[in-house]
Amino acid sequence: MGKGFCALFKKDCRMLLSGKFFLMATGFLVLYTAYVNLGYIRFMQMPPYTVYLYDPAGTQTEKSPLLQTVSSMEAMDAALLSDANGVGLDASGGDVRVALYKGAEHVDRHRADYALSLLQPPVTAAPEVLGTNTPEQKARREITCELLFFELSAVGFLGIAAVLFKEKGMGVIRVHAVLPLRKSLFLLSKLAVFLLSDLAFASLLTLLNVGLAGGAAVLPAVLLQTAVLSLAMSLTGLLCALLLKDFRQFTLAYLLLAIFAATPVFLSANTSIKLDWIGCHPLYHVYMGLKNAYFGTAVSPIYYAGTGGVIALLFLAVRLAFRREIGKEG
Amino acid sequence: MIAVKDLTFSYGKDKQALHGLHFTVEDGEIFGFLGPNGSGKSTTQKILTGILRGYGGTVSLFGQDVSAARGQEFFQKTGVLFEFPYLYANLSAVDNLNYFASFYPKEQRRDVGELLDMLELKPGFLKKPVSTYSKGMRQRVSMARALVSNPRLLFLDEPTSGLDPSGAVLFRKIIAQERKKGTTVFITTHNMMDADLLCDRVAFISNGNLAALDTPRRLKEKNSSHRVVIDYLYQGQRKTKTLEARSLEAGLPFAHDEIISIHSQEPTLEDMFIQYTGRGLS
Repeated sequence: MGKGFCALFKKDCRMLLSGKFFLMATGFLVLYTAYVNLGYIRFMQMPPYTVYLYDPAGTQTEKSPLLQTVSSMEAMDAALLSDANGVGLDASGGDVRVALYKGAEHVDRHRADYALSLLQPPVTAAPEVLGTNTPEQKARREITCELLFFELSAVGFLGIAAVLFKEKGMGVIRVHAVLPLRKSLFLLSKLAVFLLSDLAFASLLTLLNVGLAGGAAVLPAVLLQTAVLSLAMSLTGLLCALLLKDFRQFTLAYLLLAIFAATPVFLSANTSIKLDWIGCHPLYHVYMGLKNAYFGTAVSPIYYAGTGGVIALLFLAVRLAFRREIGKEG
Repeated sequence: MIAVKDLTFSYGKDKQALHGLHFTVEDGEIFGFLGPNGSGKSTTQKILTGILRGYGGTVSLFGQDVSAARGQEFFQKTGVLFEFPYLYANLSAVDNLNYFASFYPKEQRRDVGELLDMLELKPGFLKKPVSTYSKGMRQRVSMARALVSNPRLLFLDEPTSGLDPSGAVLFRKIIAQERKKGTTVFITTHNMMDADLLCDRVAFISNGNLAALDTPRRLKEKNSSHRVVIDYLYQGQRKTKTLEARSLEAGLPFAHDEIISIHSQEPTLEDMFIQYTGRGLS
């Protein structure tokens, strides 16, 4: 059994190598890391809006250093014209007047309040800080979690299905039906290759983007959640590839998953949008499990029991579909 | 080696594929299983190779019931050549064979290089990916895959499909060699020439029923008109006569100067196929 598994494992690795899967995964890792370190974190550290102040008489004494002073109303108009998200404060007439290009009402209110707050003295009573993460650490953990979730749910799902479609196309699945090996090993070796690849990817992504010390501290919990998501998505990918006729049908299933399954999870978990039914969405719980792992929050044992049950059911369904596939006509 | 009794199989309520097949295949025999498309050939072969379950009747291989003998040992003793050359296109012939051979015990495996040499695969292609091979070359590698485990029972589905005439001759030679070694061969084919030249016995299957089973020679003899057609020259003229074979026992019963040819009117195996299955070859 061990020999058979090793042969299958080696062959699956070669299939992934020849399909340039590992190269693609490395490319994604470089891309995500560059995005986090060169784009996202810098963007998050920038002030939300540039505020321009016209105060010829110098009436505003408590102004913040974040304010940019302009010498005339014409200069302010020119600044707002080139920076449509900016906010202008005109203090030339005694009362401060806010000038901005109109957008969504709630955002405009936020922009105006933020601009006016820069004319107030800094808050002396420091708010209570929850958790030990700095804003940058928090941002790093959040974005790494989102990227890993996307990679595992969308890219991994696609990868395993692509390999199986290739084998279906070559007809070699039928040959395995008459080989002296336990048929489940054919599926288990694929799951093992993708699981190991996902664990390696998750480790590198976490260490490179959360930081060595912070990343290492949360890594065991992150890897556990990665294993849960990787197995669930790989099994779903296998099931789709076995049940669907061709790659075109699979692409539609992939779109459905990406749009209708992943989008509500991201919206619900990362924005103020409230969806009453999101608690019934299985991927939402998996996403929150991953997020909790990144922030060191404990996950309920019921969650592990549930995901374990789902993985076992998915495996049984895949095994059944696989047996059906090997009995098909050539 | 193979004993099939009252074998039935249904793909659904109204899709009865096999209606009680009954036949045996002896050790070291080459057995041809012939029938038109959709007659139940593949279903029977899938049951015999342990792929399909849920059949009725009894099927025993190596003296053991197939339903009880699905373990690794069962598959170690059988080799299967499918109608299409199923191989990993990204791997070379050598890598494909090494991969498939790795599932069998070491002492049972044949040497991959020797096998490919026996199947006359061009040496320049041994390490090239299978995707660059012609259909005939792929069929040769597939045959090597079926033989690499030195099986005691070999299932061959359309073995010479996609081969040029010299390739077909080579395959027939290899199949005959396998039989000499004591391997039992179960051939499913549309190729009546293969069946006629190779098989000790053939079975015709039609609509899930066994229509006939005998040696190719006896099947042809049974249905022969026992007549001969003689072309001859007499007084400078070419003539033809059709006679009962028995009438030749006392010599040629007509005047002639020279016999040009004598043709027996024995039917071909293809004629028998059409007669028993009611359908021509597609």
